[in-house]
Amino acid sequence: MTGMTEIQMFIIAILPIYVAAFILYTLRALRGPSISDMVLAIDAMSYDLAAFLVILAIYFKQPILIPVAIALALWIYSLDIYVSKYLEGKELGE
Amino acid sequence: MTLLDTVLIVIGEIMIGVGALADLIAAIGMNRFPNFYLRLHAATIGTIWGSFLPLIGAALVAAGCKCLGEYRWFMSGGALVTSFVILILGPAGSHALARGTHRSGIVPVEPKVVDHLEEDESHPTSQELQEVEEGDSP
Amino acid sequence: MSYGEAVLLGITALAAIFSTIATYMAIMERDLLKAVIFSAIQSTIYAFIYYMLMAPDIDLVYIPVAVGLYPAVIIALIKKTTREEKP
Repeated sequence: MTGMTEIQMFIIAILPIYVAAFILYTLRALRGPSISDMVLAIDAMSYDLAAFLVILAIYFKQPILIPVAIALALWIYSLDIYVSKYLEGKELGE
Repeated sequence: MTLLDTVLIVIGEIMIGVGALADLIAAIGMNRFPNFYLRLHAATIGTIWGSFLPLIGAALVAAGCKCLGEYRWFMSGGALVTSFVILILGPAGSHALARGTHRSGIVPVEPKVVDHLEEDESHPTSQELQEVEEGDSP
Repeated sequence: MSYGEAVLLGITALAAIFSTIATYMAIMERDLLKAVIFSAIQSTIYAFIYYMLMAPDIDLVYIPVAVGLYPAVIIALIKKTTREEKP
């Protein structure tokens, strides 16, 4: 525990709560009864994962890790649109 | 470390802690609610309180921490951009998914008193009625 | 190895276990649309694992391909053909 700043100690202390939330989201995403439940669970999990990645970038003290969170938050939105377009019975881009 | 940096770091840590608790509550609710339309409530908690608020807190922490070096403004700006992207895209995605699910009818609306949207969708629109009349007239 | 590194490596191992479960369920699923969603779960967890292994440059390429383009192509393909897998 030597050599850590207080911000790093705070992040290590807050980390198990996030991990428990991710495990519960993944369980709902794996055994959801319908397709909409699974997509909703993976959607919420990915938005929380983006926040978690920014917090871990502060922990690692490496600024080059930040753009991964922006890319993940932007691209996981497309999965919603694909599945909702399929469920409405339309083609992509219609 | 000046007083302003300390205030920024403490406010940011409070925001990250509240966001972690809201995240756990949303995950428990995602497992406990019985239906898709009820799970949308848990998804709302997880998106706004569990993801938007910790990103704002992370931006404040990164702006106030001198130990990150000169690139801390880059980290702060990246966290701010991610938070606003999530603020716009999260509710839009949930709404698109709920609309598609209700139109396709793969999940029944279970605790239901009245559903005006389903009644409106089951009736034909005025344009379709006009097309049917034009088809019958000749 | 400090305490924090041990905790983070444990989280990475847990993510790898869940990605293996998601891959198994994607292979065994008869409904092809559900298989695509299981594959999307596996892709998201792999993005997290690449991040934890300190490869953000690979991650920036992996996320658009595996989360964005691959489900779009497969869902368009399922829409043109059938949804259920024949035994």
